[in-house]
Amino acid sequence: METIIEMKDMIKVFPPNVVALDSVSTDFRKGEIHAIVGENGAGKSTLMKVLYGLEPKNGGEILFHGQSVNFKDAGEAIAAGIGMVHQEILLIQEYTIWENIILGIEPVGFLGRINRVQARKNVQAKIDEFKFNLNLDDKIEDISVAARQKVEILKLLYRNVEVLILDEPTAVLTPQEIPQLFSELQRLRDNGKTILFISHHLDEVLALSDRITVMRKGKKIATVEARDTNKEDLAKMMVGRDVLFLSKREAKQPGAVVFAIKALTYIDGNKRKRQDDVNLQVKAGEIVGIAGVEGNGQFELVNSIMGLTRPTSGQILVNGKELIAADILERRKFVSFVSQDRSKMGAAVKASITENVMMTHHRLNKQFTHWNGALLDYRYSRQFTRKIEEQFGVSMGSMDNPFKSLSGGNQQKVILGRELLLDTPFLLLDQPTRGLDVGSIEYVHEIILKMRMQDRAILLISADLEELFRISDHIVVLNRGKIVADLATEKTNLEQVGYLMLEGKDKEDAKEIR
Amino acid sequence: MRKKFVSGVLGIVVALGLGAVIMLIEGFNPITTYSALFSYSLGGFYPLTTTLRNSVPLILTGLSASIAFASGPVNLGQPGQLLIGALFATVGGLYIHLPAPLMIPLLIILAMIGGALWSGIAALMRRFFSMDEFITTLMLNMIADFFTYWAISYPFFDKTAYSPMTPQIDKAGWLPEFGNFNTNILVMVLVFVAVWFIFTRFTAGYEWRLTGQNSIFARLGGCKIDKNYVTVMLLTGALAGLAGGLVVMAGPHRFLKGLGANYAWDGVMIAMVANNDLIGTLLYGLFFSSLQTGAVGMELITAVPSEFIQVLQSVIVLVIVAGRGMLDIVLDKTQIKRKARERTA
Repeated sequence: METIIEMKDMIKVFPPNVVALDSVSTDFRKGEIHAIVGENGAGKSTLMKVLYGLEPKNGGEILFHGQSVNFKDAGEAIAAGIGMVHQEILLIQEYTIWENIILGIEPVGFLGRINRVQARKNVQAKIDEFKFNLNLDDKIEDISVAARQKVEILKLLYRNVEVLILDEPTAVLTPQEIPQLFSELQRLRDNGKTILFISHHLDEVLALSDRITVMRKGKKIATVEARDTNKEDLAKMMVGRDVLFLSKREAKQPGAVVFAIKALTYIDGNKRKRQDDVNLQVKAGEIVGIAGVEGNGQFELVNSIMGLTRPTSGQILVNGKELIAADILERRKFVSFVSQDRSKMGAAVKASITENVMMTHHRLNKQFTHWNGALLDYRYSRQFTRKIEEQFGVSMGSMDNPFKSLSGGNQQKVILGRELLLDTPFLLLDQPTRGLDVGSIEYVHEIILKMRMQDRAILLISADLEELFRISDHIVVLNRGKIVADLATEKTNLEQVGYLMLEGKDKEDAKEIR
Repeated sequence: MRKKFVSGVLGIVVALGLGAVIMLIEGFNPITTYSALFSYSLGGFYPLTTTLRNSVPLILTGLSASIAFASGPVNLGQPGQLLIGALFATVGGLYIHLPAPLMIPLLIILAMIGGALWSGIAALMRRFFSMDEFITTLMLNMIADFFTYWAISYPFFDKTAYSPMTPQIDKAGWLPEFGNFNTNILVMVLVFVAVWFIFTRFTAGYEWRLTGQNSIFARLGGCKIDKNYVTVMLLTGALAGLAGGLVVMAGPHRFLKGLGANYAWDGVMIAMVANNDLIGTLLYGLFFSSLQTGAVGMELITAVPSEFIQVLQSVIVLVIVAGRGMLDIVLDKTQIKRKARERTA
């Protein structure tokens, strides 16, 4: 097969001293599906962004069809025949599919008006050519995430790209939607398109791709044929050591009910029921996982528990104490909280590490202050930061450096340290491993399991079903603000939970599970 | 910290250089001009004490703006708060007669109450009508301007005067002077130290700062951000009010038209140049005061008009603020180059 793209000695530096690409050389062939795998921060997205012209390269050469190219922006790359589908879908919600697709290259007719007939015909022709199951008059806001992703791909095909780059295309899909995407990608490959896709999920990568490039810490480790490798080998190459895929959840008898939500209902300003009669309880030494497609009420649930929004009705209890009307500080005596977005909710990134660690403790823990809470004890705070650094294995320069100087995994360790040392009976963890690399995820899971053994009650919200299956005792499925199932982890499987997440009810034949 | 210092000094040097170029184009000698400027602001006891005295309202309003901006509230009402503070101190000085040791603290407190009252109105409007303090404080500036103008033209008008002004306040309320050294600087230093401690060492200041950086994080962390908002508004209003009170008590000892001058806007500018850093506010306040004080002498000796100082100030602000971003970009670029070279070597 002929080589379509060759990247030689690519270098990319993010100041102050992150070398995102360290002399990476690789090649992509015409008509192949080529996966790029690696942990977060391994440089896979950066490699693609440099190719696509989103990030300027600091060294190296890119050959496209044997010609040296250097795209200044995405427009140049698309014009040359390389297109990228980003993780976040960038379509105009209120426009129809065909309107989104022609945007920017509209066929114009008389007096510069858009020739709608021609446009619709062109788009329909592309849909037919690639056998996409799309209705061109549907509005984006009315179609599923999977369909939106197809529209993004179609948009690039409409511009006649030869090479499609997909950045974690399955991250936004449910388990049921993934095979369909894969068969479409395979059809595109068979039509001669080259597909480069970034992924964390090794199973997918092995199922779909022809060749796989593994990256680690900005370096290319290897490019292998998919049929010559397996999951364990890939994982080893990715992290540089053996990785455990199985849960280490030890058997444990849960204790008394610590956290309970009773008949919680929240109707928002637009009269939409965001929370519909939610009942939930978490016992001491138990991890309850909440599964659900994003936007099915998780956000509102977290806000209700934390006191950011006031539910319409219902009760929130910790150790029997009613918290529904309590202010946030009062709740924090009982609730530790790890948010899904470190920089938006979990930290003040420009403040120093110590100042981030002090938060909440400065109000609840007497040792942090003198003079009846008025004066801060910085020396104690620094000792405390040191304790977190040691206990949670944080690697930090100076604790006076800004929080943002830490890597993602270390940021999360600091946040976990701060929250867990509040010693509350209940932990609310909202996607605590989001955006972390495999090694850090493993560590966070270990910590969570340790907290379970210490009899804390843990509510874990996650978009990663594997994570939920790995560490939770119970899986609760949330669909349109309603709890549609509460399943013991041992008695369910990925398919059943995935179906419940999507449909809000059990499959007819799901009763007999393998 | 060192980077901040370097960028500040570099910025000032570059700005003075640009000022020199402008002077050359206009046909003035920059060396004699600058030496006149600084000898009339720093060269000797009299110039130095004048610079110090003039720096007080700049630093206090700058402190007010720095603390507000760093904590979140966009309090741009320093001009109004300064005037109301000055009016409160004046009225107190006209009608209350106590011995100096009681009178001076009383007038200082009155000035702070006046400023806090004015910023408090903006805080209340935000609390009850969700009106943005960015707008309300600006509007309150205009009201304060005309309200104080009315107050010194009618109820508190000095009947012997030809233009709007009040009579002089009770002598017990005058800040003592030693030679040309006015004790307003001592009051400012005391207040600065107290505020610095609150802002950097107290629980309250910690919460204000972190709220200014990320309010949702602070809120989730258990900080009472609504209460803190009101406190910051009151404190920063009080600081601007104090600036006004001290202007009256140190200077003309009465409220006359145009008393606030440009102090408060210059203070806001100083806060921006200092990037809301308190020590930076103090240093830039002193520096800007030396420019403004020296301007008079410069005009006396050379043909350069004192308005030139406003040009120079603006150039300094632009160079330092732009330079702060630029320095980071340049440092990043050199680092990228070095790393890239290491890799290819």
